Amino acid sequence: MGIRLYQEPRLENPVMVASWPGIGNIGIIAVDTLREMLGAEEFGEIEPWHFFYPKRVLIRKGVLECLEFPGSKFYFRTMERGDLILFVGEEQPAEGGRVYAEGKKAYCMANLVLDVAEKFKCRRIYTSGAAVALTHHTMKPRVWAVPNSEGLIREIRGYENTVLMSDIEGTGGQGNITGLNGLLLGVAKRRGLEAICLMGEIPVYLQGLPLSYPKASKSVLEVLSRDLEIEVNLDKLDELDEKIEPGIEEFYRQIPLEVRGQLDRLRHVTYTEPSEPGPITEEEEQRIMQEVEKFFKRRGEGG
Amino acid sequence: MSLGDPAGIYRAPELRQSSLVLGWSDDAGGVGRKVTEYLNRKLKGQEVAEIDPEDFFSLGGVAVRSDLAQFPESKFYACQAHELVVFRSDPPRVEWYRFLNSILDVAECHCRVKELCILGAMVTASAHTTPRQLFAVFDSAETKGSLSQYGLVGDMDYQTPPGERPTLNSFLLWIAKGRNLRALSLWVPIPFYLARVEDAQAQKKVLSFLDERLNLRIDFSDLNQEIQEQNEKLAQARSLSPEIDDYIHRLESNLMLSDEENGELIKKIESSLRERS
Repeated sequence: MGIRLYQEPRLENPVMVASWPGIGNIGIIAVDTLREMLGAEEFGEIEPWHFFYPKRVLIRKGVLECLEFPGSKFYFRTMERGDLILFVGEEQPAEGGRVYAEGKKAYCMANLVLDVAEKFKCRRIYTSGAAVALTHHTMKPRVWAVPNSEGLIREIRGYENTVLMSDIEGTGGQGNITGLNGLLLGVAKRRGLEAICLMGEIPVYLQGLPLSYPKASKSVLEVLSRDLEIEVNLDKLDELDEKIEPGIEEFYRQIPLEVRGQLDRLRHVTYTEPSEPGPITEEEEQRIMQEVEKFFKRRGEGG
Repeated sequence: MSLGDPAGIYRAPELRQSSLVLGWSDDAGGVGRKVTEYLNRKLKGQEVAEIDPEDFFSLGGVAVRSDLAQFPESKFYACQAHELVVFRSDPPRVEWYRFLNSILDVAECHCRVKELCILGAMVTASAHTTPRQLFAVFDSAETKGSLSQYGLVGDMDYQTPPGERPTLNSFLLWIAKGRNLRALSLWVPIPFYLARVEDAQAQKKVLSFLDERLNLRIDFSDLNQEIQEQNEKLAQARSLSPEIDDYIHRLESNLMLSDEENGELIKKIESSLRERS
């Protein structure tokens, strides 16, 4: 169980951006788009067999040719203002049918990723995922940022379209980041490494659908590219969003009118300042959440 | 993550150059379980080692099957006179790579296994009266060449379809290949309506190959009797139910049944075999 580096690039003052799949594949799409746009080069991987069940077998003329596992790969790109290491995990090493990693394997995977970060003296780690929010799919998703050290809060307050947990209505600064996108932040803290998790908002009613939500990936990349001072063409994400949008609209039309009526009100929630409350009261928020939950419960029961 | 040896060895068998036959307890048609049981019974297999279930199975309770509480078992049996090792196990739920390597560690280090034969069943939309073939996937072209005289169907092209995962047998074959252990994975077709009951004919097909390959000289008269009884029961079910007869006749003519008809046939055959047993 270990890391295989095919080469050891000379990197200056690098930052690592890591992601695994999660709700709406928001983080993984953001990091993968960054990888593609920058033409980042693969330079290593985490050996997969201890972590994953294989994903594909190839048999030719009765002889087993190869067995493929979900990838956990490292890429690099030298940049003018600090180099980049990207880590893309194709799956979370989950057990027993769970979607998100937890326990020993998750901890081990997080440590292996951070071993590479430390080997190349990364000054910071970013992870990325989804923030399930009371928002509407026609709205521009905000980015929720969670740092692992107090010293980063001031910097985050300067990011555009970004909120801290304490800015989110009704959270009181509390919450959870499930799976490796969150765990990496904690393990980095334990090792004294600076890390921030950037989570793109996904509407609460879309969280259970097997859909990607590139609109939120775009919000994450906007924040990340500004912070890293790199230019990334995000047209690809707009194109992907255009393909997915009709499916979301179709699903939205299937939501019963009384629930949809409540959700429609979210179209008009604006956040001029992160901490400013929108036009929906806390009581109304609770009612919307209850209606959405009821709808999904009925749907799950085949009603 | 603990990487201690999960295998317990009761006694070191006196083997010089053995073969390992591996079967999973939950195979379709009872192939893995019945073939390994049959080999142990006929060849006087003695339990020599086991793999501790703790790290590989969910032990939050017990499953109940056929009114009995079950507990995962992963045991090795040695048939010393025949240079044969038999391994039967429930398929592990987690830590597959470690589990499969543990099997081969015991096999190679303690039992001097030089060849691995993995048993598998594939559920097909065919009738029980259709002559059975035995399909095989090999670790290498050399192994395939060395086993060409046994009538195995070994020209399969396959890749995992999207949304599906490879079988545990492919995973094990790949690990054996990486360890340079000669290995093959056998696939015997099971008519879908016999998948949840025992398919004696499929078991015989596999056992006949093993008998010839490993020079076991097994007397199959009891199994032949079982096959004959099962065929009679199925023939009787056909004669008593025009619907069953029609469904099987259509399968014999390579015609597909609808999902509803498949379900109906499974139900009727299973209840018919239960009534007559």
